[in-house]
Amino acid sequence: MNDRKKAVLGGVLGDNIVLSGLMVISPVIICGDTLKNAEALIYAFSAITFLSVLISSFVPKKLPYTVKVIIYALISALVYIPVKLAAKEFYPESIERIGIYYPLLAVNSLIVFQTEAKFFRMKKTDMIISLISCIAGFDIVMLLTGFLRELFAYGTINSRIVDVNTLIGGLSQPFGGFIFLGLMCGAYRFIRGLVSGNNNVRSDADVSDK
Amino acid sequence: MFLINDLIALLAANLILSQALGTSTIFIAAGSRKNLVATAGVITIFTTVGSAAAYLIDLILQPSVSDLRLLFYTIVIGVLYAALLAAVYKFGNRWFEDLRRYIHLSAFNCAVMGTLFTINKRAAMDGTMFNLGGYVSAGFEAGIGFIIAALILTAAYRKLNSSKVPASFRGFPAMLVYLGIISMAVYSLK
Amino acid sequence: MQYKTRKERLVWLDIMITLLTLELMSYFYYGIRSVFLAGVCVVTGFAAELVSLRLMKRKFTADDLTCTSDALILALMFPAVMDYHISVIAVLFAIVVAKNLFGGRLNMIFSPAAAAYVFVLTSWERQLLQYTEPHIKTGIFETPSNLVKSASYVFDHTGTFDHSDFEVLLGNFSGPAGAVSILLLAVAAVVLMMRRSISAGAFLGTICGTGLFAVVTPMVSSRSDSLKYSLVTNMVLFSAIYIVSDLRIAPKRDYYAFFYGLFIGVISYVLVLTGAKENAIVIVSVLFTPIALGFKHLEKKIDTAAQEHAAETAADEAAETAAGEEAASHE
Repeated sequence: MNDRKKAVLGGVLGDNIVLSGLMVISPVIICGDTLKNAEALIYAFSAITFLSVLISSFVPKKLPYTVKVIIYALISALVYIPVKLAAKEFYPESIERIGIYYPLLAVNSLIVFQTEAKFFRMKKTDMIISLISCIAGFDIVMLLTGFLRELFAYGTINSRIVDVNTLIGGLSQPFGGFIFLGLMCGAYRFIRGLVSGNNNVRSDADVSDK
Repeated sequence: MFLINDLIALLAANLILSQALGTSTIFIAAGSRKNLVATAGVITIFTTVGSAAAYLIDLILQPSVSDLRLLFYTIVIGVLYAALLAAVYKFGNRWFEDLRRYIHLSAFNCAVMGTLFTINKRAAMDGTMFNLGGYVSAGFEAGIGFIIAALILTAAYRKLNSSKVPASFRGFPAMLVYLGIISMAVYSLK
Repeated sequence: MQYKTRKERLVWLDIMITLLTLELMSYFYYGIRSVFLAGVCVVTGFAAELVSLRLMKRKFTADDLTCTSDALILALMFPAVMDYHISVIAVLFAIVVAKNLFGGRLNMIFSPAAAAYVFVLTSWERQLLQYTEPHIKTGIFETPSNLVKSASYVFDHTGTFDHSDFEVLLGNFSGPAGAVSILLLAVAAVVLMMRRSISAGAFLGTICGTGLFAVVTPMVSSRSDSLKYSLVTNMVLFSAIYIVSDLRIAPKRDYYAFFYGLFIGVISYVLVLTGAKENAIVIVSVLFTPIALGFKHLEKKIDTAAQEHAAETAADEAAETAAGEEAASHE
């Protein structure tokens, strides 16, 4: 894959925003314990992020950085309103469960900071494809987390009971989310290392403890 | 004895360990002592002053238009963000270059916004908290909670980034699992 | 005093011998089920260690056998009739997540057994904190019946402890399979301290912390009873030996280790006193991991400073000697 393709499509696998960038992890840790929550979060995140970044791309580039960041945050806060109203129709139960994490999706770093650092340095079409790939990256992780945690914590798949021998109740709790996401990040890096054939570059930090 | 119980209660109410708010930010803060002090300080300012402003918003905002709360909170944080940058530029020009990245990092994130929404939720459930003092002290407490969580992570930072940790888990994944196990111990005390 | 580094395999051997005596006592009270559970845990721990080391591309050495002692510690903290599935998951959590994910024995952060115990406590509290009475022997695949709360639970909630001192010493009261044999634990503590296989500072600190608060703010009307029962219930003695005083986790210097243990003892006692939190010491020992790491960091700094100071002094002395010799040659 050449550099341009990597930059555009990397959001799904090569540089996943959750597993590699550790962005938007709070909702995944706290609310990603059932498929229903995952669906509701996927809808909200995808809609808010896509629309906000798209609208933000029209903000004049010459403005000072701080002003632009505030404007991006305001745009996403405005986009949040219709998205929330629509969610009340489609996912009334999940909104209650997701609680404060719903509005927090609107101040995610993909919108507020990555827009400047990544998206607005690209051509419009590349930006849209890259944005979609980043959103898809989040969606896949969210879906996988919701599915596995629901299965092993509650013994259900999308609220339908399945036969799981021993349930691990702790997986539905915040600490379960932390540990599960940590394990997923490690597995993701391991697989990425195997695929890229570069076993050395798997860590973001390396400190000698001697 | 009461001090120990208060300390446990503070840990149990910690927004990072119990609600994962500001987890990504804490990973940056725990990197060095300078990062820790600066980020924690700026976040505490944001949560404390932001909570005072959030109280005024909650006082005015009608429940029928509660969906506008995020917009108003964003305006508040935006104003605070600009004001803090301006204040540092005017009164601490020498440290401006150093400090501004911490202000950028701390303004719009889950730690600050999540604190405001959490306080709002708590106040909605417990009427006695719905006053300026209640909001400000809860905001300050959240900042202190952030510092405690950052200290917990700082203690293990070198070990979690050691070359002895398997490459796939070195750094962030190990930090997540470490925080998860500490969070699990806190949860089991409830 | 700072311990000389001993090979981990020797420490493991000492720990294992004491654990096996506890397992023997457990067999006496709970029958073959207890031995089978320990076997399942040890085999799972060994297999998990082998696989993890292979994934980490490291060779298995005798020092890595500590995985079996960690698994056995965990088995002895469980009721003898613990569900096998849960036991296997717990051991996997201990060895893979709490130990090898952070780099294994070369980079220990948590006590694997303590972390796994808290994990089980948060997910399967009911199974973990219900026990069979001593002398009720359950078959290997039999479903346990007549489960009761532990003597610790009763003491924490009511302040009563209906067992004679003799029964207490022999472990003839309901509780975790290996954590109730007080006489054996006391002997194990002395032997392990003399053999320097556990941190004496941490052990004494924990006992002093718990004991001091048990006397100052007693749980029952009699201070001596409060002291006695606070030390024998809630796995205090067992945890003080095998978890808090674990050489891999506790600070190296006895001075720091003592305070580390003291804080754990005091806080866990307060939690039991104010919240009747059964086996709080295990939870507190996990929570105190950052403190242990902080102490270790401090120790490293002190060692570095001492080495630098020694090097400077040696250099100064050498310079002085050289100057003296030069002056003598001029004369």
